[in-house]
This record gives sequence, structure tokens and C-alpha cells, in this order.
Amino acid sequence: MAKLSRDTKAEPNVTAVIGVVYILITFFLLQANFKSAEVDLSLRLPVVGSARPVETHGQRGLLVLNIDKEGSLRIYGRPIQDLAGYIASEAHVARLAARIQPAVDGVTPELPTTIVIRADRATPFKMINRIITECQKNGFRRFALKAKPKES
Amino acid sequence: MGRRRAHRTQTDIELNLAAMLDMAFQLLAFFILTFRPNPIEGQISLRLPPPQATTVVNNAQAAGTDFDNSNPVEGVNTLTISVFANKSGMIDSLAVGEGQVPGLAALAGRLKTVFSDEGNPFDQVIIQVSDSCRYDELMKIVEVCTHQTLSNGKKLSKLSFVAIPNG
Repeated sequence: MAKLSRDTKAEPNVTAVIGVVYILITFFLLQANFKSAEVDLSLRLPVVGSARPVETHGQRGLLVLNIDKEGSLRIYGRPIQDLAGYIASEAHVARLAARIQPAVDGVTPELPTTIVIRADRATPFKMINRIITECQKNGFRRFALKAKPKES
Repeated sequence: MGRRRAHRTQTDIELNLAAMLDMAFQLLAFFILTFRPNPIEGQISLRLPPPQATTVVNNAQAAGTDFDNSNPVEGVNTLTISVFANKSGMIDSLAVGEGQVPGLAALAGRLKTVFSDEGNPFDQVIIQVSDSCRYDELMKIVEVCTHQTLSNGKKLSKLSFVAIPNG
């Protein structure tokens, strides 16, 4: 039987392994959606058959508002105490981005941002209406009410 | 004449890939552990202007000008749907204008009848909802409304919400 000399090294060829690993890393990197952090996955959305996926039409911004079943607004997991202040500051940012002049003679100009409402199915209307009304006061008119499509 | 071929000694260059492989696996582990697929969600897109008076004053007739009452609804372009909820937030009763409707299917039928009438003046809907009404119950009404087609062929997307305080 042939005897291996002491200098013989057994080295596995890891080139293929590295190739596969980098492909996997690329996949997960591309799949990582950092915007999903703003979505509160603990909410149980209502089920609506005709709900359609988001249509942003390119450039328009989205402002996602998560409302839990007690009716409190949550942004990135944190409850917002000053609702009016938060909506007003977001409206200000949207106004600057769209280069829209602030309200003149009490008439609030319409903002192009879409308010995405993700509310728990058990949230009372009173709480949702409070938030919608505050958004309307600040010039938001486009709303998207989130729901689960029936088949999912 | 014999030519001597120069012997080139073959030097093996070995890259130490162990560290890179380690790092690659750590990155991979990180991405696998933090991987959270986006939930499949849909949405109903709406244009929600603040609630306004149900009569457009500019189009309305001045009092006393229409002696024959030839067009009594001119200027009224908003249809009102009332949604009354019970204490648990479920829909208790529904009404379109002043008339009660027994359920969602009847509501859809009534709205279809109203909007399919070519002479109908309505282009927006105000939904009056009890404070206690659950969001999923409200979405059923919104879904029925957004299925309606206006007399101009466009889908109804102009809705407003008004809260009815629970008595």
C-alpha cells in the first residue's frame, strides 16, 4: 500500500462552496426589505376580497400608520402620544418635498402623499376616524386602507 | 543541434480562504436569521375629502325659482349611507338615505340600482358610522361602495366618513 509522505496536504476545494454561499448572501441581501420595519406585523388586518396590492405610481410617497386595536398610533413599534404634532410634522415634510405652499386663508392645499392605514380588525371606528380627520386637516386626501386579500 | 528546454518550476500559490469563508457564513447566518418575508397585503385606495354639506350650493336652485318642482334634487350629489353598530362593534342595521336595508347584499343591490340610473346626481358617498363599529365591519361597507360604478363609467372612489356618537 502506498504510503503518504508527511508533506502531503489534503485540502478540500472550497471554491464551489464559496460560490454557493455568495449566491445565497446575494439572495438574502436583495430580499431584505428595510422598509418592512415600518410595518407592524402583530396587527390582524381585516380580510377583504377586493383588496389590491400597493400601487404607488412611481414617485408618490407613502406614510404608513399602524393603529392597534386600542386605537393608538404606532410608528416603528413606538406609540405616538402627540398625534396632531406627528401628523403636522409629516405634512410639513410632505409639503417641503412636493414644494407646496402652506395653507393660505385657511385652505389647506392637497398633499400628494398617500396615507396607508394599517389598522387592527377590532379597532373601533372612532379611533380610526380621529386619525383620518387629523390627516385631512393637514391636507392629506389620498388614503389606502390595508387589508388581507381573501386567498391568503 | 540539440536544444535544451528550460525547466520552469511550477510554484503553487495558495490562497487561504478560511477567513473569507468564515465571514461569508456569518453574513449568511445574519441574513437568514433576520429574513422576514413581506406579508401579502392588499389595499383599497380611496380619496377621502373632509365631509362636506350634502348639497353643492353653487348648483342649488334659489328658493322660490322652481314653482313646478321640476328638478327637486339638483345640487344634491352626495349619497348617505348610515351604519349602526351594536355594542360589540358588529353591524346592527344599515340605511341608504332614509331607507333601511336589511344587509350587505341588499346594500349592494340598492347602490347598484341608484348608481345605474343615468339621471342619478351622485358622485360621492358619505358613510355615517357608529363610533363603536369595528374596522373589519366598516371595510365590508367600503368594499361594497368601491365596487359601484358611477353613471360616467368611473369607479366610485370618493368617500367620506362621519362618526355617529353612540347613544
